[in-house]
Amino acid sequence: MTALRPPVRPAGRLAALARPATLVAALAVAVVLLWALAPGLFTGHDPVTGVPAERLQAPGAAHWFGTDHLGRDLYARTVHGTSLSVRAALLAIAVALVAGSAVGLVAGFTGGPVDEALMRGTDVLLAIPGLLLSLAVVTALGFGTVKVAIAVGVASVATFARVMRTQVLRVRHATYVEAARLAGAGRAAVLLRHVLPNAAGPVLALAAVELGAVILAVSALSFLGYGATPPTPEWGSLVAEGRDYLAVAWWYSTLPGLVVAVFVLAVGVLGRALAREGRTDR
Amino acid sequence: MYPTSRQQDAPLRRSARRAASIAAVLGACLALAGCAGTAAQGAGQEAGPAEPAPGGTLRFALGAAPQGVDPQQVGTNVSIYVARQLADSLTDQDPVTGRIEPWLAESWDISDDLTRFTFHLREGVTFSDGSDLTADDVKAGFDAIAGDLGATAPLAASYLAGYEGTEIADDHTLTVVFDAPNAQFLQATSTVSLAVLAQETAAVDPSERLQGEIVGSGPFVLESYTQDQGAVLTRRAGYDWAPASAAHDGEAYLDRIEFSVVPESGVRAGGLASDQFDAVGDVLPQDVPQIEGSGGTVLTRANPGVPFILQPNLTRPPLDDADVRRALLLAVDRTELVDTVLSDAFEPATGVLASTTPGYVDRSDRLAFDPDEAGRILGAAGWTPGADGIRVKDGEPLELEVTYAPVFTGSGPVLELVAQQLRAVGVDLRLRQVTAAEQTTAQQSGDYDLYYYNVTRADADILRTQFSTAQRNLSLREADDVVDPLLEEQLGERDADARAALVADAQDAILDDALAVPLFELSQSIGVRGDVHDVTFDASSRLLFHDAWIEQEG
Repeated sequence: MTALRPPVRPAGRLAALARPATLVAALAVAVVLLWALAPGLFTGHDPVTGVPAERLQAPGAAHWFGTDHLGRDLYARTVHGTSLSVRAALLAIAVALVAGSAVGLVAGFTGGPVDEALMRGTDVLLAIPGLLLSLAVVTALGFGTVKVAIAVGVASVATFARVMRTQVLRVRHATYVEAARLAGAGRAAVLLRHVLPNAAGPVLALAAVELGAVILAVSALSFLGYGATPPTPEWGSLVAEGRDYLAVAWWYSTLPGLVVAVFVLAVGVLGRALAREGRTDR
Repeated sequence: MYPTSRQQDAPLRRSARRAASIAAVLGACLALAGCAGTAAQGAGQEAGPAEPAPGGTLRFALGAAPQGVDPQQVGTNVSIYVARQLADSLTDQDPVTGRIEPWLAESWDISDDLTRFTFHLREGVTFSDGSDLTADDVKAGFDAIAGDLGATAPLAASYLAGYEGTEIADDHTLTVVFDAPNAQFLQATSTVSLAVLAQETAAVDPSERLQGEIVGSGPFVLESYTQDQGAVLTRRAGYDWAPASAAHDGEAYLDRIEFSVVPESGVRAGGLASDQFDAVGDVLPQDVPQIEGSGGTVLTRANPGVPFILQPNLTRPPLDDADVRRALLLAVDRTELVDTVLSDAFEPATGVLASTTPGYVDRSDRLAFDPDEAGRILGAAGWTPGADGIRVKDGEPLELEVTYAPVFTGSGPVLELVAQQLRAVGVDLRLRQVTAAEQTTAQQSGDYDLYYYNVTRADADILRTQFSTAQRNLSLREADDVVDPLLEEQLGERDADARAALVADAQDAILDDALAVPLFELSQSIGVRGDVHDVTFDASSRLLFHDAWIEQEG
C-alpha cells in the first residue's frame, strides 16, 4: 500500500535558499516585514505631525530620508507606510489565491462544460491589462486601502486559476487519486484531501512571486490617489506627493521609491528561489 | 506526471513582465517630471522688450481642468482663463481704481431706488457668427440665467436674484428691472458670469454650451475644446471694442492661444523652462526659482472676494456648537500656512473678505493664532482630551471632515497642514478629496462637515451670496435677525459709505457666529517666459490676453 500513498514534500529545504543573493533578499524582506509589524522600533519621529520650519531638508543624521513639504520625517513616513502597503498587498494576494484556486480547482476537477465556462471567463480577465482592470474595479468600489487591495486581487485571480487548474489536471489522474476513488472516498473528500494538497505547491510559489507585482500594483493605485487619505502615509502616495518637489527635493520621491523597488526585487528573488525549490522537489 | 517547466513558467514570466511594466509606468512618470525639472535652459532675452507685434501662438499650461468654456456657467479660475477671452461684458471694472467703466454698454442710468438699470449699448459690435449685438441678445441671456440655466450657473443666478425682466426700448437700449433694490448689479455686469452671448446661445442645452456651443463677441474665438485636456483659441478678426482699461484698441496680437491641462506644478515649471510652454498657471513657491532662473517672471495678483475658508455645516454635530466653531478660528496658524506651503504672493486671511475687496475690514486681531485659548474654549464646552490626544465629549471624538476639490493646486498641502494644526488642539480633521462635480453634488445634498472653497468677486455683496440663508446658504443655517438683515440691507443702500458700514458690520457678525474659518487669500500666480509680454489681470484677477504679445524672431 505504501506505493499508493501521496508523495509528501519535505518541509522547507533551506539548502537552495542559502545563495548570497537569496540571503540578501531574505534580509531585506525581513527588515520590511519588521517595519510593518513594529514601526515604532525603527524610528522615533512622528509620521503625521511635522515641524513646518524644517520643511524640505535634505537627508542627514537627523532625518535619514530628509523631510517633506510639511517638515515631516520621510523615513518615519516610509516605515509607518509599510504596514498599510504590505497589508494591502497580502490581502490582495489572499483574494487572488483563494478565489483563483477555487475557480481552478473546480474547473480542473469537474472538466466538461463547467471547465470551459470558467476558463473562458478567466481568458476574458487575462485579456484585460491588470492595472486597467484594477482601476475599473477600484473606481466602482471607491477609495481606500482595502478597496485597492480587493481591486488588485481581482486582477490576479485569473493567473491563479490557470495555474491551479493545470496542477489539478496533473494530479487528477494520478494513481493515488484513482486509488482513493476506488477505496470509496467521496468527490469532496478526494478533492480536498488528495488533489488540493498535491496541487497547492506551485500555486503557493506563484503567490510568492506575484507578491512583488501586487505590491507594485497597490503602490501604483495609491500613487494615482486611490489609496489612504492624507496624511496617512502609504508607499505609492509618498512617491506621488514628491512629484511636485522633484526639482528642489530629489529625495522626496526617490527614497520611498527606492524602498518600493528594493522590496519588490527582494520578494521576486525570494519567490523565484521558492519556485525553484518547488520544482526540484519532484 | 509533473508539469513541464514551460507550463509552469508561463504565469511566472507573466507576473514578472507585469511587474516590469508597472515599474516602467511609475518610472516614466518620475522621469518625465524629473527631466522637466532639470532641463532648464537660459531662455532670457538680452535686448529690452520690443514693440508689440501681432502674431505667434501662446502655449498656456493650466493647473487644473476647466469645467467648460461657457462664461455664464463656469466658476473656477482656470475655466475663466479660457472663457473670459471668448465674450465681453456690458461694463468693465477698472483693475486699478475698482470703478465701473463702459464696455459693450456706452452708458447707463440707474433709478434712485436701485431697481431699474438702463443700458445704452455700443453700436457696431458683432458676435463671432457675424450677427450684430442688440438688446435682444442681452435680454435672452439674462432671461435664461434667471430661468432654467440658473441651476447650472449659480453665480450668475445669484447676481440676478430678484430679476423681474428686461424691457427693450430700442435695438440698443434696454432696462433691467428688479423687484427690490440691487446695489451689486452694476458691478455684476462687469463679471464674466454675466458676459453677453448671442441670443441663439440662450436656447442651447447647458451641457453643450459647456463643451463649446457658444457664440460671443470676445477678442478670441474657440477653435476646439477637449474636456480634461485643453482648448485652442484663435484671434477674432475685426475685434474693435476693447474696454478703456486695455492698452490698445483693435484686434488681439496673438494668433492663437493653446491651453493644456498639466496638474503637476513641477511639470508646468519645467515645461516653461524647457520651452514647452510660454506661460503657466498656479505657480507654487518651490517652482519660482526655476522659472526666474530660466529668464521668466512670475506675475501675481490677489483675488478679491471670499478668501479660502472652511464653511461649517451647522446641521452636523459638533459644528452646531458655536464654541467648537470659535475654537477653530483660533486654532489655525495662518502665517505658518502661507510660509510653509504657499509663496510670497499669498497672504494670510485677515477676515471673511480678501483684502483687495472693496468694503473689506481688517479683523486679523480676531483671527490671531491662539491654541491655548482654542483649547480652553473647547474644554469649557465639554470637550476633554482623550487618550490619543483627540478631544472627546459624551464618548464622541471631535472628528470633522473637510470636503474639497483640488481646483487650486496648493489645496491638498494647505489642508494637511491645517489638519496638523488642529490635531495640536485635539481636533481630528479628515480630508475628503472629491472632483469638482462631486463637490457640487455634495454641496447640493448638504453632505459635508466643512466645505473648503473660495469665491472671487470684487464686490462685498459676495458675502450675501455665500452667507445669506436666502442664497447659497452653505452653512445650512436657520434665518437669523443679525447676519441676514445686514446682508439684505447693504444691497439696498445707494450711499457708498453707508453701504461700507453695513458690510463691515456683516463681516463682524459672521465672525461672531464663526460661520467661516478663513485660511488664506488666493493669489493668481502666473509664470511667463521672458519673451512674453503684457499678459494682464482684470479687476477680479483673472487673465486677459487681448494685450498679450510674444517677441517674434527675425
